[in-house]
Amino acid sequence: MDELSFRRTIYAEPNTTDPDIIQAAKDDPAKQVFWDEVKAMDAQLAQAMSIPVPENFADKLILRQGMDEFSQKRQKRPWYIALAASVAMVVGVSYVTLFAGNNGLANDIYAHINHEYMNKEIAMTGQHVSQNVINEKMATFNGVLSGEIGDVLSANYCYLGTIKSLHMIIKGKTGLINLFVVDNNNSKELKEDFSTNGLVGTSFLLQSAKIIIVGDDKEQVSHLQTAAQSAFRF
Amino acid sequence: MFSRNKNQNSSVSIDMMKKQKRYEALVKAFHADLFRYAMWLIKDKAIAEDVVQETFLRAWKSLDSLKDEAAAKSWLITILRRENARRFERKQFDLVDIDDVAVADPHIFGDVALEHRELRRIMSNLSEEYREPLMMQILMGFSGDEIAEQLNLNKNTVMTRLFRARNQIKEALLGEELKGEQVNG
Repeated sequence: MDELSFRRTIYAEPNTTDPDIIQAAKDDPAKQVFWDEVKAMDAQLAQAMSIPVPENFADKLILRQGMDEFSQKRQKRPWYIALAASVAMVVGVSYVTLFAGNNGLANDIYAHINHEYMNKEIAMTGQHVSQNVINEKMATFNGVLSGEIGDVLSANYCYLGTIKSLHMIIKGKTGLINLFVVDNNNSKELKEDFSTNGLVGTSFLLQSAKIIIVGDDKEQVSHLQTAAQSAFRF
Repeated sequence: MFSRNKNQNSSVSIDMMKKQKRYEALVKAFHADLFRYAMWLIKDKAIAEDVVQETFLRAWKSLDSLKDEAAAKSWLITILRRENARRFERKQFDLVDIDDVAVADPHIFGDVALEHRELRRIMSNLSEEYREPLMMQILMGFSGDEIAEQLNLNKNTVMTRLFRARNQIKEALLGEELKGEQVNG
């Protein structure tokens, strides 16, 4: 290898692993000396380049990123977004609290008390359900009906979604009222009071069971509630 | 439904913690090299610090795009060079002033032994097209191919520039020696 191309290669890449260069340096001590000189100069250059880094620079960089992240989060959410988020949350929470903690359960209840469904149930059961029949079904919930709750037109097991309930349709003064008996463990999230288009609902705990009453008249619902509280035992 | 949200939140914060750890590891491993690189590129301590901070901030924001940790150094230098170029777009007038002041004073790189100070002066007087590949090679340990990719040049051009850079440094050092001999003699 000629002198010039050897020098060019060494100057361009002092740490070259090119076998031709290595061989050329082995064959010619002068070339090896030149190579060593360039390597020494590179070591000096590396030292000269290693200028001191500002104190705590790494910590500063980490801190700066954290602050930026923080301020960006704040900037990214101007007041109207925050307001919108609050409104959305209030609406969401109200929705949940109004209709049910377990919205599915409330919806399932509504599905069981539409007129068409209730008429079918009443038609299947007849006009009156005796206390004995009710108590046979109440046994599932370890409960007994021993008092007066009104004229029960229908008493059937219904699944509110996946939750088994005993659905009773009771004749009130002005209309039909629904009473559901469910296991409390499955319906904990249901709110005490809920309502939707013209329907009023209330639920309350009675020992191990939960009673849910839904009707279109608030007064009748609360009247049945009072009656049920003393008529049922679990 | 609430418990599921909580789980999502905690997995998000675990991801954030992982990202944070990864970021901190990058900072610790490369902040010194990047600062030095920026200093040799910019020759102003405050601006160099600023550019490195911007670089790491960008790195944080797009940390997910760094798939291979082995490529981290190249990735960071790419960001740094881009950030530095953005500075030119933003503050053209400032930069001219800074460059004029900076080149004149090798002390900006810190107090060092005389020989290093001399080398620093020589290096800071190298034109950028020679200085930058040399920094990549010596400071960052990049191969010829990596430098070529960073600078968007072909490898032969990079090698020629590296050769010329060392040649100029050597000549400058010889010139200093000659000057010294003349003074002594």
